[in-house]
Amino acid sequence: MTPEAAAAETPIGPECVQGSPILSTHALTKQFGGLRAVDGLDMEVCRGDVFGFLGPNGAGKTTVIRLVLGLIHPTSGHAEVRGHRVPGELQEALRHVGGFVDDPTFYPLMSARRNLRLLGSMTGPVSEERIDEVLDIVALRDRAEDRVGGFSHGMKQRLGIAQALLHSPELIVLDEPTSGLDPRGMKDVRELIRELGAAGTTVFLSSHLLHEVEQVCTRAVIINRGRVVVQGPVSALRPKDDAIRVLTGDQTRAAETLRAQFGAAGVTRDEGFLVVKADEDAVPEMVRRLVGDGVDVRAVVPAPEQGLEDFFLELTGADDAAGPAPTKRRAGLARLLPGGRR
Amino acid sequence: MSPAGCACPPPRPPDKDGPAPVPVFTGPAYMTTAGEPIYGPGDPAPAGAGGSPASAAGHGLASAGHAHGSTAVGMRGRAWGPLRREWIKLLFQRRSYLIWGGALLIPFLIALALYLAGADPHGGGGGPLFMERVAGNGMFVPLAALSSLLPFLLPMAAAMVAGYMVAGEAELGTLRIVLLRPVRRGSFLLAKWTMAMVYLAVGFAIMAAGGLLFGALFFDLEPLITLSGSTVSVGEGLGLIALCCLFGLAAMACIVSLALLFSVITDSSLTALIATIVIYIVIQVLISFSYFDWLAPWVFPHYFLEYVNFFRDPIYWTPILKGLLAFGVWSAGLTFIAYLLFRRKDVLS
Repeated sequence: MTPEAAAAETPIGPECVQGSPILSTHALTKQFGGLRAVDGLDMEVCRGDVFGFLGPNGAGKTTVIRLVLGLIHPTSGHAEVRGHRVPGELQEALRHVGGFVDDPTFYPLMSARRNLRLLGSMTGPVSEERIDEVLDIVALRDRAEDRVGGFSHGMKQRLGIAQALLHSPELIVLDEPTSGLDPRGMKDVRELIRELGAAGTTVFLSSHLLHEVEQVCTRAVIINRGRVVVQGPVSALRPKDDAIRVLTGDQTRAAETLRAQFGAAGVTRDEGFLVVKADEDAVPEMVRRLVGDGVDVRAVVPAPEQGLEDFFLELTGADDAAGPAPTKRRAGLARLLPGGRR
Repeated sequence: MSPAGCACPPPRPPDKDGPAPVPVFTGPAYMTTAGEPIYGPGDPAPAGAGGSPASAAGHGLASAGHAHGSTAVGMRGRAWGPLRREWIKLLFQRRSYLIWGGALLIPFLIALALYLAGADPHGGGGGPLFMERVAGNGMFVPLAALSSLLPFLLPMAAAMVAGYMVAGEAELGTLRIVLLRPVRRGSFLLAKWTMAMVYLAVGFAIMAAGGLLFGALFFDLEPLITLSGSTVSVGEGLGLIALCCLFGLAAMACIVSLALLFSVITDSSLTALIATIVIYIVIQVLISFSYFDWLAPWVFPHYFLEYVNFFRDPIYWTPILKGLLAFGVWSAGLTFIAYLLFRRKDVLS
């Protein structure tokens, strides 16, 4: 098989093209008493990814982040950051990572600048210029001398990102950085994450908001109950069985043409539109045929998709439905990961 | 939200002996069909992998330019950073000043009380060691202060400061931020132990300096008469006072280590403080019964008052050295246990 063919057949390969993955977990497992919070988790984050780490509340996201950053010790398995094993070579690994877990917390009586200085100086003197720089990046420069105790939640989140950037890490791990923010704050933080990603920093963004990940991330993994449910490019996370709504000058003739192309079952009517079960790739050929048959095409629009949130619930809820390997989830997996993940 | 401009490291060419780059690239930007990394694991990441080089150069948010200074500077900073951090934290806590204030107030009160009581040596109503000697000589004020502070206020201060060190950060939530810095947990803990000791040393210094000051104001600083009846000059006497304070500080190391251990075990600084004080008092009560005399030599509070032996002529070193040995063993042992636990601790706060 040629490499091209292999690539075409494996849209979600585990390997990264730009070198080894910057962050990976290998059968990572964490047991808390009787609770298996993380259960044999395998995932890979490539350099340059803005990587979405999705899961419902309680899925084990924060536990995974704590494991990856060495705050807690795995029951078995390990993580690797830039080739350094965690927890074995934690110090080496942490040199290349910045971030926070849960809410970023600071000394409320100290100024933002002093907080950053204290954190930064843990590993060597940090220049005031760099502090100014990271405060500029998160737009907190003018509040640098104010006590953090007076900061709003959003400002603390941004300061959390600032401290993560202090030592210019290659990888930034952010745990639900937009949680609890107002829409404006969310937008600011998302924009900031996009900027970081565009500048080449790998961002690992944990979130329970699918649309957030869709807006910001290039690749994502969805976990539930400490296990990977699906992993791949964000574009592939979207359910594939989309439909297209077609409006033409002559719906009856158009329906005939479309049935010829997609079969009788593939075409239905809905509020004056013809609804065709097909994905976007089929649109050009469809339009050519319609035009060829002399039908005026007025509109071709994506049908209101199965909501991403629904899809998310379908994927993550499958496990909760108490039953072994529910078919819906298998279907989701099979669709996204040819050959299956397990 | 304006990204600051700074230079990005240029992408590094592939390893010579590494696998060749994938010649044809058709799939998404994150995978290679060959399954081999282009860059070795130790190589620096190419900036803007998968993104356009222009955008990476333009923003440069992730530049490695500021990462770490030269090795020498880095080493120095690495050693001092955690220490400085702990010190500044202490200075930002109001209760730090309460303890220091107490260390200054006690010698003042002792001097004042004895001054007001007049020349009658028992007018002060008894009191701790050295008290009866103060009236005639201000040199005894710091010693009287030491003997009244060492059994309670200073252990309290030690337990408070050290008990807060880890558990307090867990309560506040800063532990999970600061432990993301590439500092070994051992150094982190050692910095905390050291700064708790420095804090107490300042307390001892305030107490001694205050005692001498008030002693000089209310009385005079005169040559000391030792417990053996001989006389030592003021200069020598100051040296003996300093030795007493150092001995007291060494005694406090045990409390600091004990509190640090509890601070690691629990995520509540109050629990750590109370556990330390309870254990300390229980030991004190135990060894006050003659039945437990066999136990006394093995526990550190037994030696707390051995500094009086500095005031024998010649200095009676045996109990002093025994005490220092006990403090050293206890402190080192407790700190080591704290380290072992902290190293494996799951930081869930």
